[in-house]
Formats: sequence, structure tokens, C-alpha cells
Amino acid sequence: MVEYTGKRLIQLNINGEQFSLAVEPQETLLEVLRNQLGLTGTKDGCGTGECGACTVLMDGKPQLACLLLAIDCQQVKITTIEGLSTGRQLTSVQEAFLEEGAVQCGFCTPGMVLATSALLTENSRPSEKEIKKALEGHLCRCTGYNKIISAVQQASAKMTRNVT
Amino acid sequence: MGGLDYVGKRILRKDGPLKVTGQATYTVDIRPSGLLTGRILRSPHPHARILNIDISRALQLAGVRAVITAKDAPGIKHGFVETPRYPADQWPLAANRVRYVGEEIAAVAAVDSHVAAEALSLIRVDYEPLPAVFEPEEAMGTDAPEIHPRHPKITDPFSNIAGKTDSGWGDVAEGFARSHYVREDRFQSHLRTHGYLEPQVTVADFESSGKLNVWTSSQGPFIKRAKLARTLGLAQSAVRIHQAYVGGAFGGKIDLFSHEFCAALLSLKSGRPVKIEASRDEIFSAYRHGQPLIVELKTGVKKNGALLAQQIRVINNCGAYRGSGAVIIFLSWGFVMLPYRLPNLKYEGFAVYTNNSVRAPQRGHGAPQIRFAVDSQLDMIAAELGMDPIAIRLKNARQSGESLPNGDNVHNCGLSQCIQKAADHTGFQQKYGRKRSTAGPTDPVRRGIGIGVSSYFSGSLIYPNSSSVVVKMNDDGSATLLTGALDIGQGAETILCQIVAEELKIPMDEIEVIAADTETTPVDIGSWISGNAYVTGNAARVAATEVRKKLLELAAEELEANPDDLVVANKSVYVAGSPDRRLSYGQLIAAGIRKRRGDPLIGEGHWRTMKDVPFHPSLATTKGRWSENYAFDAQVAEVEVDTETGVVRLLRAVTAHDCGFPINPLLVEGQIDGQVSMALGHAFMEEVRMEAGRTLNPSFLEYRMPTIHQVAVSEHIDVITESYQKDRPYRTKEVGEGYVSAILAAIANAIYDAVGVRLFETPFTPEKILKGLGKI
Repeated sequence: MVEYTGKRLIQLNINGEQFSLAVEPQETLLEVLRNQLGLTGTKDGCGTGECGACTVLMDGKPQLACLLLAIDCQQVKITTIEGLSTGRQLTSVQEAFLEEGAVQCGFCTPGMVLATSALLTENSRPSEKEIKKALEGHLCRCTGYNKIISAVQQASAKMTRNVT
Repeated sequence: MGGLDYVGKRILRKDGPLKVTGQATYTVDIRPSGLLTGRILRSPHPHARILNIDISRALQLAGVRAVITAKDAPGIKHGFVETPRYPADQWPLAANRVRYVGEEIAAVAAVDSHVAAEALSLIRVDYEPLPAVFEPEEAMGTDAPEIHPRHPKITDPFSNIAGKTDSGWGDVAEGFARSHYVREDRFQSHLRTHGYLEPQVTVADFESSGKLNVWTSSQGPFIKRAKLARTLGLAQSAVRIHQAYVGGAFGGKIDLFSHEFCAALLSLKSGRPVKIEASRDEIFSAYRHGQPLIVELKTGVKKNGALLAQQIRVINNCGAYRGSGAVIIFLSWGFVMLPYRLPNLKYEGFAVYTNNSVRAPQRGHGAPQIRFAVDSQLDMIAAELGMDPIAIRLKNARQSGESLPNGDNVHNCGLSQCIQKAADHTGFQQKYGRKRSTAGPTDPVRRGIGIGVSSYFSGSLIYPNSSSVVVKMNDDGSATLLTGALDIGQGAETILCQIVAEELKIPMDEIEVIAADTETTPVDIGSWISGNAYVTGNAARVAATEVRKKLLELAAEELEANPDDLVVANKSVYVAGSPDRRLSYGQLIAAGIRKRRGDPLIGEGHWRTMKDVPFHPSLATTKGRWSENYAFDAQVAEVEVDTETGVVRLLRAVTAHDCGFPINPLLVEGQIDGQVSMALGHAFMEEVRMEAGRTLNPSFLEYRMPTIHQVAVSEHIDVITESYQKDRPYRTKEVGEGYVSAILAAIANAIYDAVGVRLFETPFTPEKILKGLGKI
């Protein structure tokens, strides 16, 4: 049995908002996001860091929320899928996932979209190899990945076009 | 096909924006206030008598709200199949005996998961271990431990036969006697699992009014309601299954699961909402997997390659309860019957109880396993006859309009075109048999090409064997579509909307979908047995057509025109040739309200896959009709085999498919790609490894599914055998299951083409290749 050591008050910066939260030391960021804050867009597929569905961005870098303790996430900016777009306006990555048919059951989609956004922020013209490297920790059982690769390429093309 | 605006188009998913923004609500995301956490105590033994269960210490633990065992249950068994021959054989909670590791014995509801876990550890169960058996051929032995001593015997003298299918036609002995060449082989497939990303999860909330609200990750709400209500001893009207998106299923979420029953019973007992979410370890260790088949296949052919006779014996390891074991041996017969003309057949299938976890359908449900056997052997036969793989398949392929031996009809069949087009597209005959290499004769890497075919049904007569749809017009001319269909990722909501949009000429975003809620939507066949697009699709078409008829009647009155002269376009009705004589849907609905005192415009549509109910197919004998709608495909695989390491790579998968009229080509492609990927996992990497009933690799790390690094180029070639005609039923066909099947034989045949190694067992591991090459 897990031993209780009592809750601690922590500060988390999530999607640009500052939260004061009482959490147990063993609580993961994933649990806090989903259970305390109701940010259920971050999915729990395996709980052991193998499927990628719980990916969030920490200071812009993809991280697995199921492997992070919430108390260790106080000094960083966390972006979940809910913080990626505002209102009904989708990002180029989200649009590309829709247009290329890269979404089926959708359970891996938030993690895939966030990882893709991080990749394209760092490298706006990734090669196919770089795309695969960036998404290698994300399982998708529905699409067979080809349409996901196309979606990343389409988003890249769109973003590059917008810049130039 | 002119004038189509929505159907047949690459329209984006209706639920897409919700899914890319994280707003789509899955069952795991549902958290009613006061929610308790449920956990299940499972058997550590593969076979044991339960002598005593003591829950007293668990009940005393602070934070525990309810503990249940079989004593709290109404004592009603359930089963994937529930017929007089195959009565239900599984208790939702084990009563006196456990038959597999992981079988459910007790469940607790507590304030959080830590308390629930502690409560489980306080439950004491005394067992008397019993001898167990894990391999089906051993379990068929007359001296094998009997797993269901009191269950009706399907066959004597075998004690562990859970199902038997006997079928055939013609005279196989005579067929073999007339054959120029006869060949016998044994093929074997291995244990795989579904790998859905959203875990099995249920939230149950029993209202004080007596209503049990349930959210559960499933493939169809109506079958869940029926089975849950029955095992709980409740009226169906007392149970409401609510809609939630489903994070993948692939056959693994159809039947009743103990966590659904336990969540409901714990909520009934505690008066609080209860959520049970299976851990990934539990899913791999105690939940249902797919079903390996042993296939013994004897085939006789004429000199010209025409099949004359086939004798098949299929053995299925169905686990500790029947699950879908009796179904897969029936379906395997069907997947033999479909693609090739077969004048004489003797088929015998056995589903065998063993002390393994229960087995379920997994995408294709027998088709990948049996097609691997048949199409591998056909290549060997072709080689013996000096024919090429394309010619022998064209020789035997079914044609449109043929009657099947069970009385079904192949109304439209593009199999020959599929074979031909796949061959032409890949240059099959130029490449085959060339012992190709990329860099000359000393290159250790060899390339090969192979083909397989398959066919699949599109809905069958299994409860609830029909679908109904309601289309309701709103004051502003928009529409609401009510359907019991559940979108598990395949795009059900999207294609049903496309059909309604087409019939009524209403834009997609002005059609609201209310789906998969047993209280507010009509009954639906469910997102399994591959009937959704055809069965529910036609129900949607009929419902929309009825609404259109009502709109036209109103318009005829208002515009003083003959209904036959009216045209529907752009949410309006106008007189043909006089675009000024036009009324919008909004105006017509207002007129309807005025004239008819508020009668809303509602259309209802009903459809079932076949009308001749008395000829319901028998699982035991296969007598009776099965489905009236069959999809066909041919798949070509190109592989690269490293003769030094034994590693095989699937370079290219080409699927030529006849899925009838594709309602949404984008979604069809998505289904094909997903199936190729799942087949790739089947062929090379995925394997649930078990020892004495225990899963040895219960995680995604150890059960290796394809990642983005394992993709193969997947190409699609349409063979459209049905055109869409307004006001007439259209035979769009199955597209989610069949295409996982042919590619397996195609890969095996391509490996043979590359290096001359014939594989009779999946997966196609480097060890098997190197053994075949004589290197180890």
C-alpha cells in the first residue's frame, strides 16, 4: 500500500494560468490535470510511459505526464491540449490532422498533436525521419501512422508558407 | 452518380474538432460527483475450487463503501453466445470455481484507489487448486481435466468442447478422387490482442429513482444494456447506457465484462457512482485476447488450377469460457466459402475450453487466420501446377451474381478486378519468381512479392440485428439525427450525417448527431459484425427520404405544384425550371406548424441485413443465410528479407478493394491503413506470451505493437461495384475488418518468393526465417 505523507500546496502554471493546488507527493501530473483540474484532454492510456497519450508540453518540450510527479512541475510552463488553441480556432497542426484523416478514435490525438506542435516549433521543415523520431513514443492503433506523417508534413508546409 | 454533394466525398470527420482539441469525452473522462473507485480481486490460479471468501476485514476498512462477491449477485450467467445449444456459461463473479488466472472473484468500492487496493488485499480467499490444461489439442484428450463438468456436452467423448461447427456440401471424397493434385498442410496462428488505447472502463451511477446510468467503453450500447440488465436482474428500462466516445475497440469491447457488472452492482449497493478502470496490466493479463487457430487443410485441384475439394479442420483455443469461440469456428467456415468457388467442402471446427483467459473477436474474427492458411497453400499448389499466383486466383474467384452454397447471393463481386488491378499496379507477374535482390547475387537482402485475397460480410442476424434511425427537422431548417450507432473511431457519425445531408441537401454542420444513448436513440446493430455503414446507413437513408417526402408534400401544397415537379437543393424546395417558386426548409416547417398544429417533421428508417428471419444461420451446422452483402479484396505485399539476420520488412502493401460504394473515401483509406498496420503487427511482432495461464508480457513495452517506425507504404485501389442511386438501397459494404486478412498470406507468400522459405506459423520471426534457410 502507498503510504500517505499528507498533501502539500504547490503552484502550477498550466496553459498560462497559475494554480495553487494541494496534492499528495506521489500524485502524478497526469492525475492532477485530469482529476483535480478536469483537463481530461490529456489521456491516460497505460500509466507507465509506453503509449504517449498523456503527452503535455513543459516549456515547449513534450513530456509524459504519467511519469512526472506534480510536485516536480512547479518551475515550468505546462501546456495541455486545452491550451493549444483558443475558442473554435484550430492550429495548423490540428487542422492538418483533420484534413489528412489522421484522427480516428482520437485517443492518441491530443498527445500526437502536442508532440507535432513541439517538433514544428523547433524544426519547421522536418524530414520524414525526423517526424518518426519525434513521434516514436506515441502509439496509434487506428491509423497505421501514414496519415499522421502526412498530417505533420501538411502542417509543416502550411506553417512554412505562412512564415515566408 | 452525378449531383452528389456529400456522399462519396472526402468529408472531414464530424467528431474531428472535438478530438483534436481534447474536448471529446471518453468514458475515462467521466467523473460524476461523489465518485467512488472500484477495483476487482482476481484469481491467482488457472483452475481452482473456491472454498471460502472472507470479506469482513475489507468491509471494516475506513473509506470502503461496498464489497461484493458472487453471493451479492443475482446468480445469472452470461455468454457471448446465448442459445439453447450454447447456453451462457460465465458468472459475472466466480461462484465456486475459478477457471483462469485473473477471473473475477470480488470487487470493492472505496473513496480512492489506494483504499480500494488495500481493501482487496484484506479479502481472504481459500482455494483448492485443480489440474489445469492450456493447449486445445491436449484439452480435447479424453483424460484432460474437465473445465465445465456440469455444462451440457457438445460432443462425446471430449469433455472440453465448447463449440462445434459441421458443414459441407458436395462430395469431398469424390472431389479428391477426381483431383489432379491433392495437398495437405497444417497452419497455426498465435495469440494477439486488440491493443485499444483507451482502457476498459465503466462508470455506473444508480439514481435513487431506480435508474442505473452507465457509461462504458464499448462497441454498442444496446447489447450492453441487454446483458447488463439481465445479469443484474433488472428490467432493460431500468438501465440507461449513455454515449461516450470510444478510444478504440477492434472487437475487444463487445460482450459483457465483469467490470461493467461490478461497477453497476457496487453502485446499487453503495448508492454512489462507481468507476472501474482496468489497468494496462489487467487488460493484458485478465481481459480478452484474439483467437489463434490451428488449421488442417487438405485441398484437391484440377490440372487447370480449379479447386475441386477442400477438407478443413479448425481448432480454436477459446479459453475458460466460450466467449466468441463458437462464433469464430462458424465464421472461419464462412471466410473459406466466400472468395473462391468451391464445389466440394467438408468443414469441421472445434472451439475448445482451456484454462486461459476468455477470447473475443479481434478485427477479422477468424478471417486472417483462415485466409493465411488457404492462400498460403494455394501458392504452393500453383507452384506444383506451374501456374502463377494470379492465374490460379483468377481461375477460382467468385463472380457477381453467384449463389453461395448456403443460399446467399454475391450480388456484386469485384474480386477478379481486385486481383487483376493489384497485380497490374505492382507489376506482380514481372517480379514474381525472380529471386530479386537489390544489389546483385551476393546481396544478403532479397525481395519478394506475394498476394492474398479475402472477403468479408457486412452485418448479420445477431442481436440487435437491425438498425433504426430518426431524422428530425428543426425550425431553422437544420436537422437532428438520432442513431444508436456508436463511433468507435471508424467514423459512424460522419457517414450517417453524409447520407442524411445528401438526401436532404442540408450542410454537414447543420446536422446534429445524437448517438448511442439507449434512452434517447433508436436501437442499433452496434459497431461490430461490420454492418454499420450498410445497415445503419440504409436506415439513415430511409429516415431522411421520409423527411424529404414530407417536405415535398408540404411544398406541393404551399407552391400549388405537383410533387413530382419539385426539386430539393440548398435547404429549399423549388419547382423545377422555376427557381423563383421556392420555399426554404424553415418556411416549410413554419407552414407545417401553422397548418398541422405543430406536427414536427420526423422521418424514421429501419433496416436489417436480411429479411428472411426464419433462415437465421446456425453456428453448429451453418445452415441458413448469413448476410446479403459481401466485400472483397486482393492484397499484394512486397517484402525485403535479410538472409543474414532473418529480419523481414514489409515495404509496400497494396489493397485493391471492393467495398461497394465508398460513402467517404477518406475514412475508407483510414480503415485500410489501420488494418494493414494491425496485420503487420500480426505478421512480425505482436504476441501475447503465456505460460500456465499467466501472461508473461503484460505491457505495451513487452507486447510490441507497430510504432511509427514500422509503417509500410499502404496503397489503395478502388474497385467500385455499386453505384449510389437516389431513393434506392445501395450496397455499400464492409470496410473495417476484411482487409486485415489477405495481407498475412500475401506476406507469407512474398517471403517464400524472396528466399524460398515457406512459413506455416505466425508470427514470421527472424528465427523461423533462419531455420527455414538452414542457418540455425
